[in-house]
Amino acid sequence: MNEHGTQSEFERARRAADERALVDSAKRGSTAAFEALYRDHVGKVYGLCLRMTANRATAEDCTQEAFIQAWRSLPSFQNRSAFGTWLHRIAVNAVLALGRKRRELLGADASVDEDAERLPHPDSGDDGGVLDLEQAIGMLPAGARQVLVLVGLYGHTHEEAAEMLGVAVGTCKSQLHRARQMLAERLALPEGFP
Amino acid sequence: MNQGPSGRPDRLEEALSQLPRGIEPGRDLWAGIAARLEPRSDPARVRAVPRWAWAAAAAVVLVVASSLMTATLLRRGTATTVQTVPAQVAVPSTAPAVVPAAASAATAAFGPGHRVGPAYLANRRVLARELEGRLARLPPEGREQLAKNIAELRRASAEINAALELHPGDPLLEELLFNIYQDEILVLTNVDRLIAADTTRIPL
Repeated sequence: MNEHGTQSEFERARRAADERALVDSAKRGSTAAFEALYRDHVGKVYGLCLRMTANRATAEDCTQEAFIQAWRSLPSFQNRSAFGTWLHRIAVNAVLALGRKRRELLGADASVDEDAERLPHPDSGDDGGVLDLEQAIGMLPAGARQVLVLVGLYGHTHEEAAEMLGVAVGTCKSQLHRARQMLAERLALPEGFP
Repeated sequence: MNQGPSGRPDRLEEALSQLPRGIEPGRDLWAGIAARLEPRSDPARVRAVPRWAWAAAAAVVLVVASSLMTATLLRRGTATTVQTVPAQVAVPSTAPAVVPAAASAATAAFGPGHRVGPAYLANRRVLARELEGRLARLPPEGREQLAKNIAELRRASAEINAALELHPGDPLLEELLFNIYQDEILVLTNVDRLIAADTTRIPL
């Protein structure tokens, strides 16, 4: 390993140790330590929530719910995975739980309402092509969008995404295929878009 | 998702990989989160509970199980022998001295959220007094075992009361004491019911 590689490994290890210390303090009840964890992770959590919900206010609610749930569950966190991975899972559950709650409240109209939420989110910046892609993702139907975000953007396997979303693996694959086709159309990519 | 038909990463995947994973929210969400964080119980306080308190709690479980078993066996025994044994046979007392109920509850120092108030303690004392008067009517082997078990329970409650004097309002100690009193009352009630059932029978 070259010097640069060693340096970055060292930096990663130091950050992991720092984070573990923060997690331990938060487990013991330190809200200051938990706030530091919040500052480190809020961008990733909010990014995930925003892309999954395509709605800024809903994403803020989900982000807050995720951190509150993380605080409650922290005593049982065993450091078997990275804190960020654990938190990511909690955030996905927060998004899905909020979706279920809305469907219960609104009944069948919820899906219509969800489609109406397909709005671009201006938080992602103003960089031409990137903004187009964010907009296109935001305008996908909820099911296709969530699979695309989890598998295509955050690197989960179909099995993981299917388990998180509570759908069959086959459904997950077909939703991803649908999302890709729709994105290709909206981004005017050539057929097959290689 | 990863590759196009040619086996190379496709343009969509490339575009997705360029998206930043994190997006900062438009406003600070921490205040809303902080307002909803419940304080954790202080682990140092839990650690401060003496080890014997856990031992006492474990002993209580054993004692209650033993007492309930004794009561069940006695119930079966009296059901089969009641026609042949006179009800008022004097039995020499060999049971260990039972710590008086009043003494074991007199020193409790409960916190504001306690469940063991003066009315609870008064009822417990009445039940215990009634039982002590009637305990002598049990067969000697059952009486000895019950007296021993009740004495164990009261010793445990006296120890926890002593600890509560040092740590008044400690929720864990209060919980332990409440559980011991509940267990004691359960044993007393079962024995009381057993004796009551026995005295309704008419000896030959």
